[in-house]
Amino acid sequence: MSITYLEAIREAQAQALRDDPRVFIYGQDVGPFGGAHKATKNLAKEFPGRVLDSPISEDAIVGLAVGAAIEGMRPIVEMQFADFSTVGFNQIVNQAATLFWRTNVPCPVTVRLPFGGTSGSGPFHSQCMETVYAHYPGLIVMTPATVEDAYSMLLEAVAIDDPVIFCEHKFLYYHLKAEKLPSEALPVGKARIVREGRDMTIVTYSAMLHEALEAANELTPEGWEVEVVDLRSVKPIDTDTVMASVARTGRLLCVGEAWPWGGVTAEIIARVSSEGYGLLDAPPQRLNAKDTPVPYHPNLWAAHRPTARAITAAARKLLRL
Amino acid sequence: MLQTVLEPQTAEKAALFRETYLAAYRFMLLARLLDDKFAALWRSGRIHGGVFLGRGQEALSAATGISLKKGDVFAPLIRDAAGRLAFGETVLDAARTYLGSARGPMGGRDGNVHRGKPKEGYLPMISHLGAMISVVNGILLARRFKNHAGTVGAASIGDGATSTGAFHEALNQAAVEKLPLVLVVANNHYAYSTPISRQFACRDLADKAAGYGVEVDSMDGTDLNACLETVGQAVDRARAGRGPQMVVATLLRLCGHGEHDDAGYIDPELKKSPVGRDCQKVAEDYLIRQKWADPATLATWRTEAVHKIEEAIAQVQREPGPDPFTEEWRAISTQRLNEGHE
Amino acid sequence: MPQIPIIMPQLGESIAEASITGFLAKPGETVEAGQDLIEVETNKANMTVTAPCGGRLEDFTAQLNESYAVGATLGRIEATTEEAARLGLDAPAPAKSGDTDRLGKGNGNGNRSRVQPTVRGLPVPANVAGASYLSPRLKARMTELGLSAADLAGVAGSGAAGRVTIEDFEKFIAHLEKQKMSQASTMRVTVADAMRRSWTRPIAHVGMPVCLDPLFAYRKVARPKPGPALCALRALAVALAENSAPAGRLVGNKIVHPTSIDIAFAVEAEEGVLVPVIRNADKRPLKDLIAPYDELVKLARDRKLPPDATGGSIATVTNFGTFGLEWATPIPLPEQTLVLGMGAARHAPSWDSVKGRFVPIMEANLTLSFDHRVIDGGAAGRLLQHVADLMSKPETL
Repeated sequence: MSITYLEAIREAQAQALRDDPRVFIYGQDVGPFGGAHKATKNLAKEFPGRVLDSPISEDAIVGLAVGAAIEGMRPIVEMQFADFSTVGFNQIVNQAATLFWRTNVPCPVTVRLPFGGTSGSGPFHSQCMETVYAHYPGLIVMTPATVEDAYSMLLEAVAIDDPVIFCEHKFLYYHLKAEKLPSEALPVGKARIVREGRDMTIVTYSAMLHEALEAANELTPEGWEVEVVDLRSVKPIDTDTVMASVARTGRLLCVGEAWPWGGVTAEIIARVSSEGYGLLDAPPQRLNAKDTPVPYHPNLWAAHRPTARAITAAARKLLRL
Repeated sequence: MLQTVLEPQTAEKAALFRETYLAAYRFMLLARLLDDKFAALWRSGRIHGGVFLGRGQEALSAATGISLKKGDVFAPLIRDAAGRLAFGETVLDAARTYLGSARGPMGGRDGNVHRGKPKEGYLPMISHLGAMISVVNGILLARRFKNHAGTVGAASIGDGATSTGAFHEALNQAAVEKLPLVLVVANNHYAYSTPISRQFACRDLADKAAGYGVEVDSMDGTDLNACLETVGQAVDRARAGRGPQMVVATLLRLCGHGEHDDAGYIDPELKKSPVGRDCQKVAEDYLIRQKWADPATLATWRTEAVHKIEEAIAQVQREPGPDPFTEEWRAISTQRLNEGHE
Repeated sequence: MPQIPIIMPQLGESIAEASITGFLAKPGETVEAGQDLIEVETNKANMTVTAPCGGRLEDFTAQLNESYAVGATLGRIEATTEEAARLGLDAPAPAKSGDTDRLGKGNGNGNRSRVQPTVRGLPVPANVAGASYLSPRLKARMTELGLSAADLAGVAGSGAAGRVTIEDFEKFIAHLEKQKMSQASTMRVTVADAMRRSWTRPIAHVGMPVCLDPLFAYRKVARPKPGPALCALRALAVALAENSAPAGRLVGNKIVHPTSIDIAFAVEAEEGVLVPVIRNADKRPLKDLIAPYDELVKLARDRKLPPDATGGSIATVTNFGTFGLEWATPIPLPEQTLVLGMGAARHAPSWDSVKGRFVPIMEANLTLSFDHRVIDGGAAGRLLQHVADLMSKPETL
């Protein structure tokens, strides 16, 4: 038996619905249809009345979830595509994210964002929004890169008393498989050293983890040992693990699929440069998507975002610096 | 229809109405005096940020607050001092929020009209108009999940907010879910400085409800009598399971958007027209005419209200403000996930 | 009496600044609390700023038609202590003159620090190759051990383009620890530091022989007798008094000129070199310099130089001839541009065009080492030639 990243997300939701009567799911097409990506397949049937189709109203979807959370529920809302969450942005960043600070009332809302590029998806079905949401205080932003994390972190997202932006990568939905679901998990907020190395550290998250691991493997025959750190959550960032890794390797490359301006990679570099300057053997480097909307054609798309090849090239350059 | 004359069927109902009317009037009076006090404090530099008055909208606001019961939900807007008081807010909490007392419900983290107690069904507004409606929907849906029937949720908006996407999304959402929402629209003719001719082109704001299959009623917002009746009936219909209700009150804002605004853009003709009547004066005249109160009683009520306000303000001014050094700079409740950056 | 600032008030929602459109009182006038003092204009309205307390209007620091941020100081009122105390206005430190917070000079937020960018586009050494590049990690490790870049001169880097890596460095340290080490003296470390700093500059050298026969002739008659090094020192002082530019220091794009002709000279002491100074060496004739010179030499050798006998000099003379050396390329002190060197005297043949044959003379090499950023070889050569000419007429010195 094997389970995909997408099935893990479905299973986590099923588990949350089973474990906690306060949980319900709300979003476009999530009901009997099972969701645009099938992340809620059969859940409406298994949990009658608790998996509700919403109108195409992202603002009202999130607003409703905030209200329900205030009233003690644990809503999970699906934004269908992360790109569409811009329509619900106000409710996420101004309502959900400010509630606890303003009133001391927690806001346990989980907003699922199917995000990231897949071939042919184009400018409005491929965006990476983690950077935007991580910028706002009051939100937790999770970016699981593995089947196991997708499952355990989504369960933790629902259990956490704060609004969680759960960024699930669409490319990983079917590409990633695991033997079984995990019985225990690293808590959210801790990064994982996925591959140990001596010569440089690649810090990344979500789908880019797999590109980075491939790049690290390509560099092995050349004698380089590359350490790869999976952030798992981009808010909070586990700065300690990153810093400890850079202390061992002296070189840092940050890889993110989001756009380059500001963002997670910039944040990591800012922290390492300011708090760990003396750990560095070379200027920290970063690799992001190009600063354009995400292109439609597969040729352009493959060149737009970082790939194993691009990461390998960037790593070689950094190793020579 | 300038004044709706209620015709109670029974003496008991008549007595109840009189009691409600008097209570609502006293909330209107308290709210106006409280607003005026805040304006005075602002002009002497003792309130930071803005002060936003409800002058001219107290009848509608008080009617909304008084039509709700304990356990209902209320998402007021900026001109709802009367409704807030009627829904149970204390003068002390209002003063604490305006003056930034550490002991207020917002602890100085938010101020002026951005106050509430979410766990008591009293929602603190964000500045984005229309955004509170779907939050009320969420609370109402949660209550359905928890089988807590019989409560309603009211949200206040103005003519300006009916142009926002949030209004349309949330009203439609409430209709689809058949939620007991009462959407109270104050058509006060201006959204900040923008006249309604530049705000909407439908014949009447009430027309907007039809598009979503929402029941709607309209009233003269300067008449407490009409407000109590129309809002009260809408609340009753929602409570009875008839789905979301919208009510539209026509009135005029008798002040600026905030105290920094002299409202020079308001059409003088409008001020002279029936829509420009002061709802408080209208209510007072009605009380006297009905012999429910004489001028001396009104004066006593006023003195009592002033005393209550002065007492609260004096107390709050002695309370400490928030201390940035002891403030817990944390925007999430899960301490272990707080990044802890200063 | 306390000075109470007149502050630009918060004039409305979202108002961050206002411009001054008029003054309603004059400095020196007595004003009352609440009295209108300044007319201001925001983008929303015209308003007035009032006096925070009664007193004498000290001044307006704000200027007409300029914009000021909310919270900026616009002027000051001198109030009685009682008045200030009554209003709870504990007098803050009075604003310095010209310290008005004008918009555009700061970042527009409350307390402004006026940081002006002076460096546009620093060169980033991201691609610097070889031993000259020290990574932050290597620098941090060296700081920990109290080492400087010069200490790594002997390490061949194995990193990119010959860069010294942290591994190279640790191997080097491990290797050192196997060898015999002794503690360097304080004097040694001080000289080392000075030379290291000096060596950051492009140092060049010129040299020429000078005939010492006139000096030796002069020494036969002079009482007391001046030595060659002092003679060279005096000659350098005279030359620099005529034109001090070659002894200037280059800082950024400015030449910093000497203010007095104070010349140092090197005296070898145990474990190092001391450089006592003869002040205003251009102002006193050679014969008057002999006694102070001898005294300074003695004090230096006894390590008893008073603090004011060193430092602040503009050039140094070093007589490496005392070691029997004919040639050397000394390094100027870090704060100096020039060092004049003198070699050992020796017999040398000199062509006598009158007699038509070589005749024996006594000569020594004069060298001038200089910061090539300040002067070029030609200027250095001319200065050296001038010094040599002056030394050939010691009786005039």
